[in-house]
Amino acid sequence: MLRDPRARFSLILPPIIQLFIFSSAATMEVKNIHLGVVDLDRGPYAATVLQGLRGSRSFTALPQYPALAVARYALEREQVVGVLVLQSGFSADLAAGRPTSVQLLLDGRRSNAAQITAQYVSSIVSSAVAGGGGAPQPGAAVAGRSLPNAEVVMANWFNPNLDYRWYMLPNLVGMLSLGVALMITGLSVARERELGTFDQTLVSPATPVEIALGKLLPPLLVAVVQATLYLLIVTLLYGVPFRGNILVLYAAVLTFALACAGVGLFISSLVYTQQQAFLGAFAVLLPFALLSGFATPVENMPWWLQFVTNINPLAHMLRLMQGLFLKGTSFHSLAQDMVRLLEIAGVTTSAAVLLFSRKAA
Amino acid sequence: MSATPAAAGADGGHTGAHSWWQQLGAVMIKEAKQVTRDPSSWIIAVVLPLTFLFLFGFGISLDTTVVKIAVVREDDGRDAQDLAAALSNSKWFLVVPAVDRPTGERLLQDQSVKAVVIIPAQFGRMLHAEGASAQVQVLVDGAEPNTANFVHGYVSAIWSGFLASRAMQQGTPVTPLVSVEARYWYNANAESRWFLIPGSMTVIMTLLGTLLTSLVIAREYERGTLEALYATPLTRGQILIGKTLPYFVLAMLSMAVCVLTALLLFRLPLRGSLLTLGAVSAAFLVPALGQGLLISVTMKTQMAAAQLGLMTGYLPAMMLSGFLFDINSMPAWLRPVTYLIPARYMNVSLQTVFLAGDVWAVLIPNMLFMLAVGTLFFGLTWRRLHKRID
Repeated sequence: MLRDPRARFSLILPPIIQLFIFSSAATMEVKNIHLGVVDLDRGPYAATVLQGLRGSRSFTALPQYPALAVARYALEREQVVGVLVLQSGFSADLAAGRPTSVQLLLDGRRSNAAQITAQYVSSIVSSAVAGGGGAPQPGAAVAGRSLPNAEVVMANWFNPNLDYRWYMLPNLVGMLSLGVALMITGLSVARERELGTFDQTLVSPATPVEIALGKLLPPLLVAVVQATLYLLIVTLLYGVPFRGNILVLYAAVLTFALACAGVGLFISSLVYTQQQAFLGAFAVLLPFALLSGFATPVENMPWWLQFVTNINPLAHMLRLMQGLFLKGTSFHSLAQDMVRLLEIAGVTTSAAVLLFSRKAA
Repeated sequence: MSATPAAAGADGGHTGAHSWWQQLGAVMIKEAKQVTRDPSSWIIAVVLPLTFLFLFGFGISLDTTVVKIAVVREDDGRDAQDLAAALSNSKWFLVVPAVDRPTGERLLQDQSVKAVVIIPAQFGRMLHAEGASAQVQVLVDGAEPNTANFVHGYVSAIWSGFLASRAMQQGTPVTPLVSVEARYWYNANAESRWFLIPGSMTVIMTLLGTLLTSLVIAREYERGTLEALYATPLTRGQILIGKTLPYFVLAMLSMAVCVLTALLLFRLPLRGSLLTLGAVSAAFLVPALGQGLLISVTMKTQMAAAQLGLMTGYLPAMMLSGFLFDINSMPAWLRPVTYLIPARYMNVSLQTVFLAGDVWAVLIPNMLFMLAVGTLFFGLTWRRLHKRID
């Protein structure tokens, strides 16, 4: 396979492009917010609030609407993610020292973006009203909440600016190599079966164990090459720190590739056509991706799904990558994940060998 | 492979509408048989969507539930104990006690906890002393920014609750002067599941529509049966429609399974009509199937087609469709790219039909875009299929 220049090309270039595109796309930060404003108050405090919103970099468009009905129309068409309503009497209440409120209508279809928008708006509104000059930048490194003689000081370790890319890039390294390793082993056996060359291999003097090992080798090579590329791009181009040991990284990549290839081999031992192999690979790829902490944290899942993540190679890989890149986690703690990956590789490969030899007999 | 005697007998396929339809029927029957006879097709149409939706529904959640934190309490006073108790009693945190600061820091480093709250020695004394300042330190695992932001919010909320109850005890209640009343339209509890499930359906439909069809013509090519297919009097149009329609039916079927699951198991509201939902799904399948066929005629092996399908179909549907990541928050150069991805239109349309209703102002432009992208894909496929015959 590595002799084919096109295949070689397809193993290197697309993953790099994906790394670029997806790392830019994958952010849970909310930027470029379009927030509608219905200002029925038109008093001094309303003006301060608007100024605070305009001063924040998060809000890029603040269309004003004369009435709620008009604003609702814009919300329905997804022109804005929310509408801030400043009732008449808002400034008067505040001037008189009476507690008051503002209404914020949000688009629940985009509930995550809406919730974060709500956090931003409320911090801007309260600081604008308190007259505490200028809006605080949301998601700042140190968010203090000060009262006369007590305060909480928060510091973000490993990723001081909470840069989402620092989180996503190490994850993408795992995610992208998972797909490649699974597909290479999963489809290659099925392809040989379809073309009829697999039977030839089986009747050759090579034992099923040797055949299986032979099939595990290419994905390992590919994984090492890709990991080197990713490491260079992620650290040099994106400036993500690498705080672990480089040898441990390669050990992690190899054990992960072995586990993925094992799963791929197991799938290919069950199927007869490439289409089936492809579906089989996909049927595990998607759950692996979802239940790994890649997109949403494992802690958010119900306990029984958290338990399932134990047999998910990607979940271990992500912990390894986070630990190596950002946290400089101790080898002892990383070794546990690697042992798990080896266990997964062992179980799936021996199951595949068993199935192959039964078919060969 | 599929030339039935009836079809082969007709001369050139242009003798009349009747035989054209007969020929088309023959291709469709062949492809449909291949689909229905293969037991994996049923797995695809029913089992796969169910499993995926199930996993999406339970596995993906942006609503942080319980975060594991460590609390280092260096002060034995009552105030410190109260604050520690407020943290452990909170439904947001699962508290692991840590004896001292290095232990807490090690727990954070080894990924056992997401944050360490350090209540310093002399905390109680400082709190009461005039002019002194009591500082609670919170070390947050910033590696997952989303969780880190939630931890910030939770700790701040518990801290203000702690201060408020202290103030209450001292007889000076503090009420905030202005409160922001947030109301979520279409999704009153702001449940992330409500917007993630329509998005999951888009991903599942992409999988069925694009990935399965991406193998269809590449398979014939690889097996050498494509020439045989060309040797039949079938026209390109017949081959395309005949190859596509069974997958269209399959995908619509699994869409129905998804919708039922969403409504019955996940209790999603359906505020639009079923008819609209069907129309949106059908409109989406045009570009989805078209993209699959285009890949299929472009790539010569199933392996290559599968990889291209994965890269241009599934991954963009996951990452660039607005399913998980808000499109507006993406960098300006990337936003125009999302317009090329059919899943983007499907995602918005499904969220609207389920949660908001039949908002035609949203649905019609999105459906038109889907059809336009689909026509483009089919047109390109048609042209490429022609080239291959030569």
